Amino acid sequence: MSIRAELKYKIMKDYGAPALMVLQDFKRRKPRPIPEAFGPPLESNKRLKEILSRHYFLSRYTPGVKKVAWVTSGAPVELLRAFDFYTIYPENHSALVGAKKQGADYCGIAEGSGFSQDLCSYARIDLGHMLSGKTPAGKLPKPDLLFCSNNICQTVLYWYKAIAHELNIPLIHFDAPFVTTEQTEADINYMAQQLQDMIPILERVSGRIFYLNIFEDILKRSMETSKTWGAILDAMKAQPAPMTIFDAFGHLAPIVSLRGLPVAQDYYHFLMDEIDTRVTQGIGAISDERYRLIWDNIAIWYKVRFLATFFAERKMNFVTATYTNAWAETTGYLDVKNPWTSMAKTYGQIILNNNLKHRLDLMKKMIKTYSVDGMVMHSTRSCKPYSVGQFDLRKTITADLDLPAVILDADIADERVWSEQQIHTRLEAFCETLEGSKHG
Amino acid sequence: MNISIPDRSEYLKTLAQSGQKIMGVLPALYPRELLWAFDIHATEIWDPPGEILHANAHLQTTICPIVKKSLEFILKEPDIINAGYLFPHTCDSLQNLGTQVKDLIGVSLPVYTFYNPKGSFNKMTTKYYRDILQNYQLTLETIYGPLNPEKLLAACVLSHKIDSYLLAIQQARMTDHLAMNNLDYFKLMRAQEYLLPSDYLSLLEQVDILDQPSESPRARLMVSGILPPTSEILRFLDELGVGIVADDLLAGSRRIPKFPMDTPVSPLDYLTDRFFVLPPCSTRGGDLDERLHHLSKLMDASQAQGMLFDMIKFCEPELFDHRLLVKTLREKNIPVLTLETELDSHISGQDKTRIEAFTEILFEMASA
Repeated sequence: MSIRAELKYKIMKDYGAPALMVLQDFKRRKPRPIPEAFGPPLESNKRLKEILSRHYFLSRYTPGVKKVAWVTSGAPVELLRAFDFYTIYPENHSALVGAKKQGADYCGIAEGSGFSQDLCSYARIDLGHMLSGKTPAGKLPKPDLLFCSNNICQTVLYWYKAIAHELNIPLIHFDAPFVTTEQTEADINYMAQQLQDMIPILERVSGRIFYLNIFEDILKRSMETSKTWGAILDAMKAQPAPMTIFDAFGHLAPIVSLRGLPVAQDYYHFLMDEIDTRVTQGIGAISDERYRLIWDNIAIWYKVRFLATFFAERKMNFVTATYTNAWAETTGYLDVKNPWTSMAKTYGQIILNNNLKHRLDLMKKMIKTYSVDGMVMHSTRSCKPYSVGQFDLRKTITADLDLPAVILDADIADERVWSEQQIHTRLEAFCETLEGSKHG
Repeated sequence: MNISIPDRSEYLKTLAQSGQKIMGVLPALYPRELLWAFDIHATEIWDPPGEILHANAHLQTTICPIVKKSLEFILKEPDIINAGYLFPHTCDSLQNLGTQVKDLIGVSLPVYTFYNPKGSFNKMTTKYYRDILQNYQLTLETIYGPLNPEKLLAACVLSHKIDSYLLAIQQARMTDHLAMNNLDYFKLMRAQEYLLPSDYLSLLEQVDILDQPSESPRARLMVSGILPPTSEILRFLDELGVGIVADDLLAGSRRIPKFPMDTPVSPLDYLTDRFFVLPPCSTRGGDLDERLHHLSKLMDASQAQGMLFDMIKFCEPELFDHRLLVKTLREKNIPVLTLETELDSHISGQDKTRIEAFTEILFEMASA
C-alpha cells in the first residue's frame, strides 16, 4: 500500500467527494417538471445519487490503497468485504450506461472486437468498457480480482472468464447448483466448502488476514440491510403505494452493489423512514392510483422514464416486481452462527437459480399480497434464465388468476432492440384489457 | 463405408415396440452408464428433424434451435420415449427448459435433471460430482428398484470399450488411417446418440483402421462447435476434397475422455474420473487457456490447416469463447471460417461461396 495513494484517497474521501457533491448540486439543472400524473418525488433520490456518485468517484483513487474486485450481482460479496475489497458491479455499471441510452455505443465496441451481437448486453457493454476505457462514471479502476457466481446465469461465468483472460487476473467462481426441486445436502456442503476455500485466495490477493468476527459483523449488517430493503418493498402493499417499481429499480443499487457496507444500511433506514411517512400520510407515487401492476424481469433501463410516465398517465402503478424482490427474498436463510451453510442456502436459492414452479408460486403470492390487477413481463433477449419460461408463466397466471398480462419483447440495455410501434400497440391493448377487466 | 448404420427413427421405433425402456436425453453430458444399469436406453435429442411450430408458443425467437427443436419433439409426446426425459445441466436455456417442461408445460412422463458442476475443478468438485451421481442413482432406484452393482460395473466396462474404440478411431482419422468420408464419419459418431451401447460397440468393431495411411485429403480441416456441420455441408466438403481430420464438438470429441482410462473397477469412481478427464468445454465453464491448449494440440496432431467454427445461433457458451479462439488462431496465421447455423438442412448459396473461398486458401496452403 502506498502512503501517497492512501493520503490521496483519504483527501478525496473527506474533501474531494463532498466537494463533488456540492459542485453537482450547484451544476444541477433546474429539475424537470414532474408530470401531473405523479405524486411528489422521493426526497431520498438526492441521497441515493450522492451515494452512487461518491462510490464511483472514489473508485478512481483506490489503486495502491484497496484492491478492486469486479463482482456479479448475485455473488456472496460479504466474504470480499471481510478483506476490504473495493467492489465494482459491472451489471450496475452496464445498467447505468443503458439508462443513459449509450448501450448501443458500448455494445458496438465489443461487437467490433469480435463479440457476437447475440450475447447479453450487460456483458457487451462491460466488455466494450473494458476494451475502450469509456464510462459515463468518469473513470473506473481496473480490477485485481473477478468474483462471479452462476446463481444468476451461466453467462456471467463465460463473461468473467473472457475478462480474466484479457486482463490476466484471477477469477473466483462460486458454483451454485440450480435448484430443480430443493437444495440437497450435497449442494449445500459443496457451496459452503467453496466459500471457505476462497479465503486463502482472497488473503493472497488482498494481502489481508481473514477474521471471523469481522466477517460475522458484515454478515449481520448485510442481513439487516436486506431485511430493511424487504420492508421497503413490503410497504408497497399500501394503497396508494408510496413509490413505483421504477423508483425501486433505482433504489435497488445500494443493496446490489454496496451490500454489507454501513452506507447501504444507513441509506435504507433513511429511505424506510421516508416511505413510512408517505404511507402514514397517504402520499402515493402516482397522483391517482387506480390499477396496481407487477413487473417481471430486469428493467428496460433506457425506457424507465417512458414506461413510468406511460403507466402513471393511465393511473397504473407498478407496486411489485420479481426483480427488486430478489435481494430480499432469501435473506431469511442467513444465520451468523452458521455463516457458510446459511450463505449457501441464501445465495443458492435466489429466484434465477430456482425452478419455475418456485417462480410461479412466488409470483402468484406477490399478485395476491400486493393486490395486483395486471402483469407486465419484459422478455429480454439478454437474460435467458429470466426469460425462458415466461410464455408459460404468463399463460398459467392468466388462467389461474384471471389476470390480464402482456409481454414486452425488448432488452435490458441495448436500445437498438426497442421497437416503439410494436411495444406501444401491445401496451395500449393491455391497458384496454385491464381497464375493461376491472370495470367489468 | 461398408458399415450399415440403422436409421434413427426406425431403430428406435422397433426398440420401443420390443418393450425397451427408452429415456429421451437432452444435450449433453450425463452418466449414461447409470441408465444402462437400470436397463434404460438413453436416446439423445439434439436436433430432431421437422419444422419448429408448437415450440414457438413456449419460447422466444432468440432461443437457440437445439432448445426449440428439442421442445418441439417433446411436445409431440413421441411413442418412442417411454421412460421420461433427462435434462443435463448444460446452459441457461436448457436449464430453464427442463423446469419449464416439468413444472409449467407438463408431460405425461417423468422429467429428471442432472447437474454438471461448472468452472475450474478440484478435489471438492470431484467429491460433489460423486454425490450427484449417488443422488441420481437413488432417484432412479425409487422408481426402478435397487441397482444391481454388477450391472453398473458391466455398463461401465461397456462404456470404457466404446470410449477406447472412439479414441482409436479419432486417432486414425487424424493420421489418415481411416478410409471414411466426412459424412460417414460423423454419421458413425452420432450413431451413439440412439443405438443401444451393445449395437454401437458392434458397429465400432467393424470400423477398419488401416495399417498404412491412406491418401491425404486435398486440405485438412478441424471443426469446432456443438454439432457437426449439416449433412449438406459435410457432403459439400467431401466433394471439394476437404477432410475434417479433427473436431472440438460437444456432440463429438468433447464427450470422449482425452486419453485412455483404466478399466473400471469401482463404477462410481470410474464415472467421476471420466467426467473430469473430458476435454475442456465451453458449457462446463472451464479455463480458456486450457481450451486453447487443447485445440492447439488437436490441430498439431491432425495437421489441420484451418478451423471451421460451426456456430449455433444464440448459443451463448460457444459465442463467448469464440472471439478469443478466433483471435488466437488468426495470430498463428491459421485460416478460420465461422458459419452460423439454425440447424436448417439446406446450405445457403452465400455459405457455399464462403466455404469455397475458404477451402481455396487451404488448397493453396497445402500446395505451398
